[in-house]
Amino acid sequence: MSGALILLATLGTSLLAAVMIFLLPERAFRARTGLNLGAALIKLGLVAWMVWGLSHGREYAVEFPVLEGLPFVLRADALGIMFAGLSSLLWLLTTVYAIGYLEDSPNRKRFFGFFSLCVASTLGISLAGNLFTLLVFYELLTLSTYPLVVHRGTSKALAAGKVYLRYTLVAGLGLMVGMVTLHVLAGDIRFGEREILAELGSGRQPLLVGLFWVLIAGFGVKAALVPLHGWLPRAMVAPAPVSALLHAVAVVKAGAFGIVRLVYDVYGIELSDSLGLLNGLVAVASVTILYGSLRALAQQELKPRLAYSTVSQVSYIVLGIGLFGPLGTIAALSHLLHQGLMKVTLFFCAGNYAEELGIHRIDELDGAGRRMPLTSMAFTVGALGMIGLPPVVGFLSKWYLGTGAIQAGMPWVIAVLVASSLLNAAYFLPILGRLWFRPGPDHGVGEWPEERRLGRLETHAWLLVPAVVTALFSLMAGMLAGMPFSPLEWATRVASAEYLP
Amino acid sequence: MSDALLALALPATLLWPLLMLLRVPLLAALADRGRPAVLLDGLWCSAPLPALALALGVDKGTLALDWWLLGGHWTLDATRGPLLAVTTLLWLLAGVYARGYLSGEQDKAMAGDGAAEARLTRFALLWPLTLSGNLLLLVAEDIPSFYLGFAVMTFAAYGLVVHSATRDARTGGLAYLVMAVLGEGLILAGLLWGAGGIGTTTLGGLREGMLEASGGVWMGLLLWLGFGVKAGVVGLHLWLPLAHPVAPTPASAVLSGAMIKAGLVGWLATLPLGEPGAGEAFAWLGQVMLVAGLLAAIGAALYGVCQRHPKAVLAYSSVSQMGMITALVAMGLVAPSLWPALSMAVVLFAAHHALTKGALFLGVGIGEHPPRLPAWLLWTLLALPALSLTGALASGLATKWAFKAVLYEGDEKGVVTWLSVAAVGTTVLMARTLWCQWQGERQAREDGLAPLVAPMPLAWLATLLAALALPWWLGDGPVNHGWPPLAELPGLLWPLALGLAGSVAAWAAGRRHPLRLMRRLPPGDLWWPLARAWQASRRRVQAHLARLGRALEAWVAWWVAREHDAIKTLDGMTRGEGWLRCHAAVLMMGVAVGLALLLLLGTALMGPA
Repeated sequence: MSGALILLATLGTSLLAAVMIFLLPERAFRARTGLNLGAALIKLGLVAWMVWGLSHGREYAVEFPVLEGLPFVLRADALGIMFAGLSSLLWLLTTVYAIGYLEDSPNRKRFFGFFSLCVASTLGISLAGNLFTLLVFYELLTLSTYPLVVHRGTSKALAAGKVYLRYTLVAGLGLMVGMVTLHVLAGDIRFGEREILAELGSGRQPLLVGLFWVLIAGFGVKAALVPLHGWLPRAMVAPAPVSALLHAVAVVKAGAFGIVRLVYDVYGIELSDSLGLLNGLVAVASVTILYGSLRALAQQELKPRLAYSTVSQVSYIVLGIGLFGPLGTIAALSHLLHQGLMKVTLFFCAGNYAEELGIHRIDELDGAGRRMPLTSMAFTVGALGMIGLPPVVGFLSKWYLGTGAIQAGMPWVIAVLVASSLLNAAYFLPILGRLWFRPGPDHGVGEWPEERRLGRLETHAWLLVPAVVTALFSLMAGMLAGMPFSPLEWATRVASAEYLP
Repeated sequence: MSDALLALALPATLLWPLLMLLRVPLLAALADRGRPAVLLDGLWCSAPLPALALALGVDKGTLALDWWLLGGHWTLDATRGPLLAVTTLLWLLAGVYARGYLSGEQDKAMAGDGAAEARLTRFALLWPLTLSGNLLLLVAEDIPSFYLGFAVMTFAAYGLVVHSATRDARTGGLAYLVMAVLGEGLILAGLLWGAGGIGTTTLGGLREGMLEASGGVWMGLLLWLGFGVKAGVVGLHLWLPLAHPVAPTPASAVLSGAMIKAGLVGWLATLPLGEPGAGEAFAWLGQVMLVAGLLAAIGAALYGVCQRHPKAVLAYSSVSQMGMITALVAMGLVAPSLWPALSMAVVLFAAHHALTKGALFLGVGIGEHPPRLPAWLLWTLLALPALSLTGALASGLATKWAFKAVLYEGDEKGVVTWLSVAAVGTTVLMARTLWCQWQGERQAREDGLAPLVAPMPLAWLATLLAALALPWWLGDGPVNHGWPPLAELPGLLWPLALGLAGSVAAWAAGRRHPLRLMRRLPPGDLWWPLARAWQASRRRVQAHLARLGRALEAWVAWWVAREHDAIKTLDGMTRGEGWLRCHAAVLMMGVAVGLALLLLLGTALMGPA
């Protein structure tokens, strides 16, 4: 199969799945499930094939002109395929989870249709070969996520959806303005040809700096950089699989990935450094990391706490980008994957507690470890990873961030990292303490808010398996970091092959 | 042992405790409902056995694992070997002891007490997990493995501390966890800084690179303090006296015997001890460590004497002993030339303290459940490890001589004197411990005696024997100074005599005028004022935050109001548009007429064109 065909097939799988799901009637449960899982598996297979091909030096690219001088470009480079791999893997697991989660609930057709569309856009973002294509899919992502956020249709969900649209559409406008200006300045901005902006000459530098921050603000809304993070904690009203998707795979990650592209592929790391943009990024990221952790500490409910934790953790990626040097780059890229694995685990588990036991508040979790041991083990793995304890992958991110900070000559970043670790410990360890060390309803103290027995296992198997699998991935990716095709190894490959002379 | 064999044996010894851990849920699942399985059986106790065999059978060896974390590098050498042997032995015997100690809970669980069953299961799971962390950190040479072992041990041990789930246990557990997390943070900072600045992933590389690296002494300081939380450096020792009394006795024994040695292992592995080119800054760090160590050694003894619970007294004794070890480690920076000889003395000290303190802690449980032994024999056996810790006999005497001989050779008489003063404190602490135990034991004897041939007394006796016989079995490395000549004995034993005399005097004085002071000095000393200060500042900060939150809300509300205004204006425009639509015809006509008029007027004024 030729390179172009694979690319289009990969993108088409989820688009086609979306269309077919919309065509199927609401009650065609089996067909829809089969379609969802089949598409997810095929896509994962195609992406895996491309990963293999890329590591053997093959090229995958396709392009056609939209307007004069404005082509639509899809291209699989090492960085893009890394994000595509993450999103297809987690899409599969999230789909499994969503099927279990939404069993017997209304409007499943709408949900899964937009769900597929959302993942198709994410894949488009990861495989986009120029700024224009990236922007197209980025906006598509915004629009396809809205129905998922407001899926429940309650007034709270609608309000959250409104806030989400306000933030993201304004940001999209900013991105558009920035992109058009860049286009006027330098023509079509292809990823991987970063000399274009560097050759513009010093007269344009103030404009470039301004544009950079406009674009960062545009991407920063999705990446939930403080003070543009307001929509994220509110979007918590969405169903658990959507939260998992928002936080680990699609939206927040798309913002972070956009920043990665902007710095490494549009401006180029050297230009960004010489314009002094990286220091600004590090400062913004540090503030976000600490602010997110502090706000997380103040939350009484599980999902908002996880949401603020995302605000903090995604900024690790931005922090890594800001640290000039290969180690910082490795940290940023590998954390893109690591955070996804860990956060998706945590959200799956939070959803399991809510579905099986009706638990939403943290103080209701007392003794849940005995009732739901596997879910709680998975949650523990995710939480320890977030704190940055080995052998979970979070440790590796922290390691590379810390050593990268030294390499970039910013030792004070280590203080930020340690403070963030302590705060992470302060808001995750009490949860773990409640799960495992407090007596709860299963020890004969109190009762669960709303217990349902969803399956023969501790909960519905479709809910349990994804959580356990992602937890295992988080563990394995950490323990076997030296193996080929581990996230860390791939990030190292991207960093050394593409960005360093 | 050949490298290939070691490549199998070393991972196997680390995996064995984890297998025992996995066996626990399996046993629990296979057991009939309503009749819980016996979790702490012989096989469970064997968790540290392979590691012990390895430690006794292998002197040296390294193992590299490329796929593990950032590249695994595990090693056994002259420092780690003896420590591993002693640690595993203590874990083994404490595990056997735990079988007896928790048999009461087992009975309760059998009788259908769900809470007891849950506690027992948790203990059976976390004990081997803690052990595996401890083993890993002892053999790890790469930083990630070491940190992994340290973290696993630290966090798993929390479950052992809070085992009884009482209010005191919660407080102890909280103090333990807060301090542990702080320590982890400091260690992480030190390790990241070091690894980033030096560009290494091994502890050896860190130790050597620290001398050259800019800010090396700050890395050293961070690591010293971080590991110091575990080793009970003065000011960071708060968790020790709170956590030890509440933990089950076998857990206290491994906490105090094996786990706080992890801090020492951290120091030995990361600080540039005995490097002649260490420079002025590191010498200063050494001075600070020396002062902190001696302060802990003497201060903890003074405070510990005022405690009433024997395990609290023993915890303060651990702080005091670790203070002495800190002072000795500090000599590696202050006087690097002494270090090669002194390091062996430090290892011997650590090994001696591990087993002796283990025997003392296990003895507390024996005092509470006395076996069928004549009182005089029981008390002799209980007093033996206490005497050994003061340095009067067996391993204590050998240890004391080992470091004093080195310090005399290096002409460090001042340090020797201070250490002797600390030894007086140790004697008083030991007397206090035995006194507290005596009080408890009289009560226990009335409740009935336990059989001698049970896990608890046997494990205790074995620990005692291993502790006293340490110089004979540990190997030649650490015990290279042998026994002191007779002429030196008075110099070594005067602290014991002074301490005993002081104890008797204090006891006599206390009988006549009971001291009120003791009630006012709770275990955990600085923890209580700090906890109060924390609460107060938290309230204050929360009040500020609430004000800030209100200001933010007002700000958002202002913007929302502006938005409403804007929408209102838009609505107004829509209405205006509607009005325009209604009156479009009239308006158009008006405009047309107006224009026509203007045109006419213009022509009239300007005249024909």
